[in-house]
Amino acid sequence: MLKAQDIMTTDVVTISGSATVAEAVALMTEKGLRSLIVDRRYSEDPYGIVTETDIVYKVVAYGHDPKTMRVYEIMTKPCIVVPPELGVEYVARLFANTGIRRAPVIKGELLGVVSVSDILAKGNFVNQPQRPYIEDEIDAARDEARRICAEQGATSQACAAAWDIVEELQATASHNRADRALS
Amino acid sequence: MMKAKDIMTQAVATISGSATVAEAVASLKENQVRTLVVERRHPDDPYGILSETDIIYKVAAYGKDPKQVRVYEIMTKPCVVVNPDLGVEYVARLFAQTGVHQAPVVSGDLLGTISIHDILTKSDFVEKPKTYFELYCEEFPDAPEARMYDA
Repeated sequence: MLKAQDIMTTDVVTISGSATVAEAVALMTEKGLRSLIVDRRYSEDPYGIVTETDIVYKVVAYGHDPKTMRVYEIMTKPCIVVPPELGVEYVARLFANTGIRRAPVIKGELLGVVSVSDILAKGNFVNQPQRPYIEDEIDAARDEARRICAEQGATSQACAAAWDIVEELQATASHNRADRALS
Repeated sequence: MMKAKDIMTQAVATISGSATVAEAVASLKENQVRTLVVERRHPDDPYGILSETDIIYKVAAYGKDPKQVRVYEIMTKPCVVVNPDLGVEYVARLFAQTGVHQAPVVSGDLLGTISIHDILTKSDFVEKPKTYFELYCEEFPDAPEARMYDA
């Protein structure tokens, strides 16, 4: 399985929370970035992020002057961070569940930024879709099969069909594991 | 005042609602765009849109096979569309209020798409931020509120 560190963008630029929004825009335009990571003020301080969306939704939409507004007024801090070894499918699920599109990748220090664009461009979900909770699905299918067989008898058609489902899931899971070993 | 048509992206990639998500991903990569406009089925049909986010949130996040999922299952249709003459500040406000990140620019025909990125990189909001009042005065220069007085 691909991990966050395999697809993240390592070209990261940070900005101070006290910088103006105009400075943030200049930095993003100059570096061709869609988000900036907000510097921590000390080592226990959480990371923050400011995105294009923050600027358009909170500054441009209201005609505020970017030269007088500061990054800390529109940033998201603390922000959701991703560990480098998190699987890409889990990154996608985390993004979907929390409604975010990008997050810093952090392990002790800032390593990169991972975004929906990175998942789309560098992920392998088209050729190797991975159901992140397949082991749980197998456990559930096994419980279900046992229940059906206890109720309807071990030789019943329903019992055989229920175990077929378990086997199919197991085959998918081992196929995924083989893919993972190869990649 | 800058308008949607001044900053929109004119190169648009379209896709059929019945295409597979795998085909949509291939088209996004090939055309180097972040959004696809879903073709109308007849002239009265509304426009639809498919974004990177739709694909990641609804397909990749669940490990569904993109070759088995169709565009119509995850697209947004009807979608918010923008008039080419709409001021950029109004586009930004519309986006903020509806939570969208991109929209087709339509006037009879599909003219382009406009995104948060277009607003940030091509508009003049840093040099000339416009409040609602200033936009109003530009639009109605003869209104009493818009009168300028020499101090």
